[in-house]
Amino acid sequence: MNKAALEKKYTPEMPRKEIDELRSTIKAASQRVIAENIERMKKADPHRPEAMKYFDDIADLFGQRQKEIQAEKEKGKKVIGYMCLFAPTELILAADAIPVRVNSGWYDTSKLGDRVVPVEVCPVLRSTIGAKMIELSPFLEQSDALISVLTCDGMTKLSEILSDYKPIWGMNIPRVKDSTQSLRFWKDEIKHMKTQIEKFTGNKITRKKLKEAIETSHRATKAFRRLQDLRKGPPVIMGRDAMLVNQAYVWDDKKRWTEKTEALCDELEKRLERKDWVCPPDTPRVLVTGTPMFWPDNWKLPTLVEEANPRGIIVADEQCSGERILNDPIGVDEWSMDDMLNAIGERYLMASTCPCFTSQDGNEDRINWLLNKVKEWNVQGVIYYVVRGCMLYAMEYTRVKKALDKINVPIYYLDTEYTREDVGQMKTRVEAFLEMLTARVDF
Amino acid sequence: MKKPSTVKGLEYWRWQEYQRIMPNMKWSSKDIITAGVDVGSVGSKAAIMINGQAYSWGITRTGSNSPESASKALNFALQGTGLKASDLKYIVGTGYGRVNVPMANKAITEIACHAKGANYIWGPSVRTVLDVGGQDIKAIRIDETGKVVSFLMNDKCAAGTGRGMEVFADLLQIPIEDIGDISLKVEKEPEPVSCTCVAFAKTEAMGLLRKGWSKEKVLAAYTRAMAVRMANLINRVGLERELVITGGQSKNIGVVSRIEIILGVKTLPMPRWRDDSGLDPMVAGAYGAALFAKALYEKAQKA
Repeated sequence: MNKAALEKKYTPEMPRKEIDELRSTIKAASQRVIAENIERMKKADPHRPEAMKYFDDIADLFGQRQKEIQAEKEKGKKVIGYMCLFAPTELILAADAIPVRVNSGWYDTSKLGDRVVPVEVCPVLRSTIGAKMIELSPFLEQSDALISVLTCDGMTKLSEILSDYKPIWGMNIPRVKDSTQSLRFWKDEIKHMKTQIEKFTGNKITRKKLKEAIETSHRATKAFRRLQDLRKGPPVIMGRDAMLVNQAYVWDDKKRWTEKTEALCDELEKRLERKDWVCPPDTPRVLVTGTPMFWPDNWKLPTLVEEANPRGIIVADEQCSGERILNDPIGVDEWSMDDMLNAIGERYLMASTCPCFTSQDGNEDRINWLLNKVKEWNVQGVIYYVVRGCMLYAMEYTRVKKALDKINVPIYYLDTEYTREDVGQMKTRVEAFLEMLTARVDF
Repeated sequence: MKKPSTVKGLEYWRWQEYQRIMPNMKWSSKDIITAGVDVGSVGSKAAIMINGQAYSWGITRTGSNSPESASKALNFALQGTGLKASDLKYIVGTGYGRVNVPMANKAITEIACHAKGANYIWGPSVRTVLDVGGQDIKAIRIDETGKVVSFLMNDKCAAGTGRGMEVFADLLQIPIEDIGDISLKVEKEPEPVSCTCVAFAKTEAMGLLRKGWSKEKVLAAYTRAMAVRMANLINRVGLERELVITGGQSKNIGVVSRIEIILGVKTLPMPRWRDDSGLDPMVAGAYGAALFAKALYEKAQKA
């Protein structure tokens, strides 16, 4: 390669020694955080399901799954990473490649990202840049190419910055959802992505392979929904446990994840029969919505809610790091290639409640989805979680608040950063909110 | 009570620690005697209540160690009452250091406690409470029983808080307890300082002093900026009358009167806390905590 090709357009050249030193320090810190989070989750539920053991292991980002993917890579498989959930993972699977999501939840690396972009930028992005600079994220490192869907402004520019390191395939997503030309345009993007993936992997996406991949997704969605449905009644699983299971899907093997989630649900159903609740049924039921919260470091809010005094339990979320991952199945009519691609296109665009969209009536889908969740999951309070710099979620707050005010469900806007410094302050906010929800009972 | 003592040495920030026992109140062992201990980042307050009526309280400066500050405040409140800590049926801890109040039976946030305490001090007409603490400010909407309906809290910076005022007292060499009056001694209200960040405001203030501004004018500009910030928080949570201010800054007439002007609303009159029979809005959190303690004690008795 010539010198010009190696020149980085966005990120600084770092000496190898510095990269290695920072990585080993931050990796060690991260492993401690992972272990501590898991420990605290274990403590929170004295009868924690056996099936969680599997997810505790898969939660070690530097553990088993990294090694598995490495072994597959050595056998010639390609790994295709993605940031936003709109990347059509079924196409990746159908091309015999491995899809992994690569957004970063590391607090420490966001400080490194500050060397490239100003602190006003969303910390999820700064952290992802920082993780790349020191080669921390196993899945980002293993990715042979990245699909970047141009959702928010930050994601759009992040893909440019990451092009210093990896081939990036941008997908242009329309912002106005309810128009036929948008859908047509997006379906073309999906078709183009299919060609792109086939060329890159050298594997043809056949009708049979794609059908298989869609069916794999269907089975995963079924298990996923079963788990969420089990959170509708008196609590049989801690919110954090369910959230970890949900999130693990984006880096785990899809078939195995489905199997393990079904096993977990079997256990939870028995628990439901035994009336073995994880906490008293009058524990305030909380829904979290807003900026995604990525494992492992950004587990701050769920931990605070579920360890607060008074304690709360997260029974649902409306986040792309959680329930948005798998909630919606791909609706195929006929299993022709064309129809399958159309169905994939519709599923990724129409079902999403990401605030990057607007429509005739604003982001009405998100409002309806939230109201429905609140009702069906018997939610008593909503925490609207936003990290500084996350403009779309911040700007959509007033509309969400008005909608919830109407049905008399309290909502609290909680803004924070990729830092541990504000935990004390956040604790006061969270506890005051939970006190507000319990006040009717206690005083 | 006498006017606050004079400044010791060069510690202009130092506000007076004091204890109060309400005259004409008696207790017997049959009474429900409870306490609230509010360990804030700057001041620690403890209040003793007899059957839900404020009996005594003490205010001290928070030290580096929360448990010690809590004990110090509680012992201060008990001093001269004939009560011992063991006479207290139930204790609620609140404030930033609430989890470190070793003698507390339960911890409740200062948001709920200030709401309850404001309702106790001013009665059921209060709907909006602004609590200006040592390191944060909170705007709280409450119902007629003192229950929190919604609230907002400033972010992690100390701008517009008691600690910021202490920094300015030192910078301008004005005793903290005179700061409110002095900030009002300007013919015309100056523009507020542009930075509310304590560190930057300090730099800005030094620049203004060098430019020949009087201390009064600089203080007015800083106080104005703080008041704007607090008024914004109140507007964001939604102002509903009656409005009251609790926490240490409720005693800063410079802040209170400016908030009233900006919002176009009078706050309910300040209790005569310097007199023997007046409740102290700085102790609102501790009163609220002691009331919760009574409710929790009664609930436990019934169970």
